[in-house]
Amino acid sequence: MKSKFFRLLAMLLTIGVVASACGSDSEDAAPATTAAPATTAQVEVVADGSLLDAVKARGTLNCGVSGSAVAFSETQADGSVTGIDADFCRAVAAAVIGDAGAVNFVALTASERFTAVQTGDVDVLMRNTTWTQSRDSSVGMDFGPTTYYDGQQLMARVSDGFSASSQVADIDGSVVCTNVGTTTEKNIAEAALLAGAEITLLGFETSDEVYETFIAGGCDITTTDGSALVGRKVKQQPADEEWVIFPSTPISKEPLGPTYGQNDSAWADAVNWTVYAMIIMDEYGITSANVDAKCAEAEAEVARLCGGDGELQTGMGLSADAFHQVIRQVGSYGEVYNRNLNPVGLYREGSANAGWLDGGLIYAPPAR
Amino acid sequence: MSEISSAAATAHVPAAAAPEIPKLPPRQWAKENLFSNPFSTALTIITTVILLTISRALLSFIFNPIRQWDSTATNMQLFFTRAYPDEQYVRVWFCLAVILILTSVSMAVWQAGSSIPVARLGRKFLAGGALLGILTLLAPFSTSGTIKWLLAAACVAVIGESTRRFASSGGTERTVNSLTVLAITLAGLAASLWVVPYGHYTYVANREPRVLAEEGTVALTTKLPWTIMLLIAVSAFLLGRWIRDRLPTNPTRVTLLILWLLSPPVLIYVVLRDPSFDMGHVFSTDLPIFVSYAIGGALLLSWLTRPSTGEAGRIVAVIILIAGFCTFLTPMRMVVRLDMLTLAVFALAAPTFAGGPRNRRRYVLGWLGVLSVMSWLITSINTPSTVTVPGGFFIGGFSITLMVAVFTLVLSFPLGIALALARTSTMPIFRLLATWFIEFVRGVPLITILIFFSIMVPLFLPRGMHLGEVAAVVIGYVLFSAAYLAENVRGGLQSVTRGQHEAAEAVGMTTAQKTLFIVLPQGLRVAIPPLVGHCIGVFKETSLLAIIGVFDILYIGRIVIPGQTEFMGSTKENLLFVSVIYWIFAYQMSKASQRLEQRTGLGER
Repeated sequence: MKSKFFRLLAMLLTIGVVASACGSDSEDAAPATTAAPATTAQVEVVADGSLLDAVKARGTLNCGVSGSAVAFSETQADGSVTGIDADFCRAVAAAVIGDAGAVNFVALTASERFTAVQTGDVDVLMRNTTWTQSRDSSVGMDFGPTTYYDGQQLMARVSDGFSASSQVADIDGSVVCTNVGTTTEKNIAEAALLAGAEITLLGFETSDEVYETFIAGGCDITTTDGSALVGRKVKQQPADEEWVIFPSTPISKEPLGPTYGQNDSAWADAVNWTVYAMIIMDEYGITSANVDAKCAEAEAEVARLCGGDGELQTGMGLSADAFHQVIRQVGSYGEVYNRNLNPVGLYREGSANAGWLDGGLIYAPPAR
Repeated sequence: MSEISSAAATAHVPAAAAPEIPKLPPRQWAKENLFSNPFSTALTIITTVILLTISRALLSFIFNPIRQWDSTATNMQLFFTRAYPDEQYVRVWFCLAVILILTSVSMAVWQAGSSIPVARLGRKFLAGGALLGILTLLAPFSTSGTIKWLLAAACVAVIGESTRRFASSGGTERTVNSLTVLAITLAGLAASLWVVPYGHYTYVANREPRVLAEEGTVALTTKLPWTIMLLIAVSAFLLGRWIRDRLPTNPTRVTLLILWLLSPPVLIYVVLRDPSFDMGHVFSTDLPIFVSYAIGGALLLSWLTRPSTGEAGRIVAVIILIAGFCTFLTPMRMVVRLDMLTLAVFALAAPTFAGGPRNRRRYVLGWLGVLSVMSWLITSINTPSTVTVPGGFFIGGFSITLMVAVFTLVLSFPLGIALALARTSTMPIFRLLATWFIEFVRGVPLITILIFFSIMVPLFLPRGMHLGEVAAVVIGYVLFSAAYLAENVRGGLQSVTRGQHEAAEAVGMTTAQKTLFIVLPQGLRVAIPPLVGHCIGVFKETSLLAIIGVFDILYIGRIVIPGQTEFMGSTKENLLFVSVIYWIFAYQMSKASQRLEQRTGLGER
C-alpha cells in the first residue's frame, strides 16, 4: 500500500516537473538576434506577417543547403560554401536584402531538412530537393521553379558490354550499387521489375563508398542521379577503363529547386521571381559582366526587371533594383550553371537544362 | 633544461620499488621469451608473419600514388575549426594559448613528469631506427626512395646507439626528465613547420589547380603561432615551478581547478563567440537581477550557515527549491529561474557548512562568486555574436568534438553523482526516480536520444522558441552520460564499508557531511578506472554527432571533403587521418588515468 502511494506520488511529481519545464517560456524575449541560432534557448519575435519581412528585418537569409553535394553545395577548405545551390541562396539574399553575402548557410542532412523549414531554422531550402506530390502536400512544403532537371540513370563499364543505348532490361543478373536512404533504391527496384530484369541491390551509406566498391569490382552497375554520375565519371574513371551512362531517358524525374514552407505567398513570390529573373536575363544574354551596361539601355521586359520604367519589384515588397543586384552580384542562370556544373562535366547544351528556345525545359513566365 | 630535469627528478615521488628483473642480453632474452619451446616458437613466427603482412598492407595503402593525401592537407583548417573566419583566427590561438598555459602550470604544480634513464632513451631510438628500416623494406617505395628512408633509419639508429654508449660511459646513470623529452619533441615538430608544408595549400573558388595559400590566410601562417604556443607553454611551465616553490600548495591547486572548470564556457562563449554587449540592456535588466540575488542570497545564506539555525534551515531551503520550480509555471526570464535554483542548492547545502564567522564569510563569498560567473556567462551567451560564420554554429570540426565532450563530461559528472546518491539513498521517492531515470535512459541507444533531441525536440518547443541544435544535443548527451556515470559511481559508493558510515555517524556528522566528506571521496577514488573509461567513451562517441549532421571531425572527413569537386573519392584517406586524431587524444586520456591510478595508489592498497 505504502510503496504504491509513493510510486503514484513520484509519478505525479515527474509529470508536474515535465509539465512545468515544457510550460510557457514566452517572456524570455532576448532580442531577436541576427545570425545563427546560438546554443541557448533564444526566442525570436515572429511576426504573423510574411517571412519576407522577417528576413528583411533580420538582414541575413538562413538558407538550408547540403554542404556536401558535389557542384551543388560544397563546403570549401576555409568553410565557405560554393555550388549552384549556394549561388541560388546568394541570389535570393541579393534580391531580398541587397547583399549576396548576407547568407547564413545551414548545412542539413536529408532527414533534417523539412523539420528545419517547419521550425523556422531556415527560410528556404536549396538542398537538391526533389519536387514530389507528397512533399508538396502532406509534408507541408511549397516548391519554387525547378533550377535543375535531374533524373536517375545507371553507369556501367563498356568492357561489360554496356553502351549509351543500353536499357534497364539489359542489366538482368547484375549487381547494382547505390546509396541507401534515398529514393534511388526504390526507383531502380521498380524500374528493374517493370523491365523484367533480376538484379542484386547493394546499399551503401555514402556515395564515396558506392564508387569505391564499383571501382574495386564489387558491383557491375551504380545508379544515382545523372548529375552525380557525370561528376564521378569525370573525376574517378581509371585510365584503363571506360564507363558509360545509360539509359538516355532517365528512369526517374528529379526536378530540383527551391523549397519553402507552404502558404506564404509573398515569400514564395520573392524566391520564385529571383529564379525567373535569372532565367529571363539569361535568355537576353545578360551576365554579371554586362548587366550595368545592358540595364542602362534596356527597354521593355529587361528594363522592368532592372528596376526601370514600369517595374514590378516594389509591389512585391522588394527594392526596385533587386534583380539588377541579383545579376550583378551573382549572375544569370546560365552563368551560375556554367560556373558550378561545367567543372564536373555537366553542360546545358542538349540537356533538359537548356533554355526552352534551345529545346530544354528551363522556362520562365514573362515579366510584365 | 637540465635544471628542470634535476628539479623534477628530485621532486618525483618514488614508486614502491618493484622486484628487480635481471637484464638479459638480447639473444638470451629472445630465447627465453620467444623461442622457449616449439609451441611458442610457432606462435612467434605466425604472429610475426601476420604483423608484417598487416604493416605491408597498411604501408601500400598509405604510399599508393592514387591516394589523395592533399585532400587532408588542404582541409586542415576545415578539420579543426570548420568555418571560423580567418581575420578572427587570433581568437582560436588565444584559446589554445590559455589551455596550454593551464596545462603547463598544472603539470608543474602537480609535479608531472618522471626521469627516464638516457640509456633507455637511446635503446628506444635504436629500436625505432630498426623498425623504420623494416617498414621501409616493406613499403612500396622506388629504389631511390628505399635508399633514402634506409639512410634515415640508419641515422636514427646511430643516434640511439651513440646516446646509449654516451650514457653508460660515465659510470653513474644519467637521466633526463620526460617533460624535457616532450619539449624537445614538440620543438622539433614546430621547427619542421617552417620547412615542411603540411597544410599550406588551398583551392581558390574559381577551381584553378592547387595553389599555395595566399599570404595572411590561416593555412599559410600556422608556423609562427605554433612556435609562439611552444614558447608560451615552456614559459608557463617555468612560471608553474616558481609558483609551486613559493606559494602554498592547496590554494594554488584549488585555483587551478576552478580555472580549468571556468575555461570551457569562457573560452567558447566569450572569446570564440565574442558577444557584443548591449549596455543598456545590461544595466536595465541583467545588473538589477544580479544585485538583488547577490544581496538577498548573501543575507539568507549568512543566516542559514549560523550553527544556531541548525537543521531548520533545510526546511527554508526546500521551500526555496519548490519556489524555484514554481518559477517555471509563470512566464519570466530564464536567468531568474536559474539563479533561484542555484540559490536553493546553496541553501540546501548551507547547514553542512555551518560554522564560525570565517566559515560563513567564505560560504557567502562562494555564492557571490558562482552567481557573478553564472550571470556573466548567461548574459554573454544571450548576446548576439559578432563573429559571423556560415552554418548553424560558430565552431565545428575537431573543436566541436572537444566542446561537446568537455561540456558533456563537466555537466554529467555532478548529475551522475547526484543520481548515484539518490539511487543509494533511503528516501523512496529519490530512489525510485533515480532508478527509473537510469534504467530508462540506459535502455535507449545513444543515437536514438541524439536524433530525438536534434529533430523531435525542436518540434515540441512553443512557436518562436529556438533551441540550438548543439545545445539540444548536449542536453541529450548529458542525460545519457549521467545515467551511465551514476552506475559507475554507485559501484564506488558501495565499496565504502559499513564501518566508515558508522564511524562518521559516531562522531556526530550529519548525513550530508558524512556523504560529502567520508563516503564520496573514498567511493570516487575506487571508481577512477571506470570513470576514465567513461570519459574516453564519451569523447569517442561524440562521433555519433556525424550521423545527425553536426559538422564534427568525422562528418567533415567522411561526408564534407569527399563532397568537394576536387576530392571526390577521398573518404579512406580522411578517415585514416580522423582515426589517428581520435587515437592520439584517447591514448593520452588513458595514459593520464594510469598516472592518476598510480598517484592515488589504486591497486596497491
